[in-house]
Amino acid sequence: MWRLFSLLILGGALVAPAGFAADAARGGTLYAPCAACHGAQAQGNPALQAPVLAGQDAGYLARQLRHFRAGIRGAADGDTAGATMRAQLAPLPDDAAIDDVAAWLASLPAPRAAAVEGAVLRTGSNYYQSKCGACHGARAEGNPALFAPRLAGLDADYLARQYRNFAAGLRGTEPADRYGRQMRLMATALPGEAELRDVLGFIAAQSQQE
Amino acid sequence: MTRTIVLALVLALVGFAAGNWYAKPRAPAQEADAARVAASYEGGFRADGESAAAVSERLASGNITAVAGAPGEHEIVVADGESIQEAVKRAAPGTVIRVRPGTYHETVYIDKDAIRLVGVIEQGRRPVLDGHGKLNDAVLYSGNGIVVENFTITKYKGNGIMGQAGNNFEIRNNLIIDTGVYGIFPQLGKNGIVEHNVLSGIEDAAIYIGMSDNIHVAHNVVFENVAGIEIENSRHAIVENNYVYDNTGGILAFITPGLPIKTTSDVIVRNNFVVRNNHPNFGAPGSIVAGIPAGTGILVMAADEVVIEDNIISDHKTAGILIVDHANAANLTIDPESDPNPDRVAVLDNVMYRNGYDTIPEVKALMLAGMQRGEPDIVRVGPSTGSCILNRSRYVTVGLDDFGVCGFGNTDATVTYLLPPVPPRVIEPGERGKIAYLGICSGCHIYGGRMVGPPVQAIQALYMDDPQALADYIANPVRKRDDYPEMPPQNYLDPETRLAVAKYMLEVRN
Repeated sequence: MWRLFSLLILGGALVAPAGFAADAARGGTLYAPCAACHGAQAQGNPALQAPVLAGQDAGYLARQLRHFRAGIRGAADGDTAGATMRAQLAPLPDDAAIDDVAAWLASLPAPRAAAVEGAVLRTGSNYYQSKCGACHGARAEGNPALFAPRLAGLDADYLARQYRNFAAGLRGTEPADRYGRQMRLMATALPGEAELRDVLGFIAAQSQQE
Repeated sequence: MTRTIVLALVLALVGFAAGNWYAKPRAPAQEADAARVAASYEGGFRADGESAAAVSERLASGNITAVAGAPGEHEIVVADGESIQEAVKRAAPGTVIRVRPGTYHETVYIDKDAIRLVGVIEQGRRPVLDGHGKLNDAVLYSGNGIVVENFTITKYKGNGIMGQAGNNFEIRNNLIIDTGVYGIFPQLGKNGIVEHNVLSGIEDAAIYIGMSDNIHVAHNVVFENVAGIEIENSRHAIVENNYVYDNTGGILAFITPGLPIKTTSDVIVRNNFVVRNNHPNFGAPGSIVAGIPAGTGILVMAADEVVIEDNIISDHKTAGILIVDHANAANLTIDPESDPNPDRVAVLDNVMYRNGYDTIPEVKALMLAGMQRGEPDIVRVGPSTGSCILNRSRYVTVGLDDFGVCGFGNTDATVTYLLPPVPPRVIEPGERGKIAYLGICSGCHIYGGRMVGPPVQAIQALYMDDPQALADYIANPVRKRDDYPEMPPQNYLDPETRLAVAKYMLEVRN
């Protein structure tokens, strides 16, 4: 009897999120002020250091927004783009708003990233598959089962900045950010700047093949 | 204007190529003198305290054809419908377990010494180990002096027969068909024989000699696998008299970067038929084995002292023999603790024809740069020092200009690298995790790259300071990556070993 009761509770817990399904349509409305930096189709704007959001995993986006809100991300000295983002959270006052906007963004098609000049794709492929692909997927498509975001389609400057932020401890140091800490451990895995460029070129090429 | 620039560029390139060509030292004398050719290669292995004369006698005598020791007096017969594993549990070391024809759906794990698992063949009927596409491994052994012979093994997902740090093994006369990632895979073993087996339909290597020493691989038929016979991070191996056809790559001598044992050397590849290994590569995309170019007869990657003699190597579209360093190989990254170059490779007499007829763009580019024509039998890419070839004028070669003439013409002085039974590997207290990591995990995981499973480096990032969570995963894995094979549960290991290996795995640094 007790076991049956536990199963009911467990079952209820599993079903519960469906009862509060994110409202993507409302998310689209909430997104309006964000477009000033991230673009009308959430395609990003490298000139403003605003990354692509379209097509990103909703769980990842919602987690990052909560991290910005809590100061887990964007509060470190030196993360100026992160600080800018932290100052712009007013349109998303609560968890429901965050989940809704994340759901809307995830529903948009991911854009194609510009090719990376000078990148050696063969070396990039070797290093990507050896260091990154086990979590971020063979084609940089991301893997929600491992909480690893999509990388294909993100602009190379943003990716390089985040990689360096992880390596420098501007991101991925907070105890509450377990997945960020995982990434920080991999942010020294590439031997140098040339290989980083090659890997970024490989990632960009993945978005062009879709 | 544009045309002028293009013309200038073309002229500059041609000039560069021509300059390269003229500046290179011309190939040394074509033929070796008779005395040098009469000399015989002798591998470098010497047991503790052995004199040079004793080494020569041991290598040349060839009287060691078994290594597992004499069969004991105990015998158990397993009949169709009974369990082989139950028999193994009852067997004392020294027991011969005879398995009668029939179908057995189980994984047999042998963790004691001197067990001979022998199939009984009656009127052509063998015992069949059938995994039904559900079980991971047919036979796993960690004991020493293990014999596995006369079985048919099919439809397993992981390994046909895998050795985990067992010495003095004999794996003989088995048919291993459509079964998983590795067909016969002795890992971390010393002194072993793999002979008279037939293997087909293996996703990675049909015969994979991993991190082992003193191995004899002979008289096997190996076809329609990704890699036929692979000598990887191993020393003192002879691969002879095998028929290797229709694989993606035929015979491979390799260093895989990121494995805990860092060298491959002293590998003799002789008297094999290596024919039309042009099978499309069906290894998991991004994995090291997926980087083998289809149409490669013999691949030497970063391995030293590989001697290739008296093989018939024909009908390979990429090359008959491909010699490459780590930097120029696909799907892998440099290991700072491994020498990335294949040094002192010796190509003696071989019969080669119809190779390189549809080679890969990298080789075409090399030929273009060297203003070479023809279809290459032998291709070398990247640095290789001290290497040599006999009778080079018989073949179309690319990149072999600095190969000298070999100082020996045959390997007759080295009949075998097998030894009388050697002592079991010494496992110090506290080394249980390390040995399990080397003997088991390293079969699929390398430190900083993708072999079969995800890199150890990524696993360390994911589990950080929580070995218990990793130990729990090892016992009961959940698939998380669509593009990787499923991790097989390692629940035949006891919980203490699983925790020990998890701790070790989170601490290794290469």
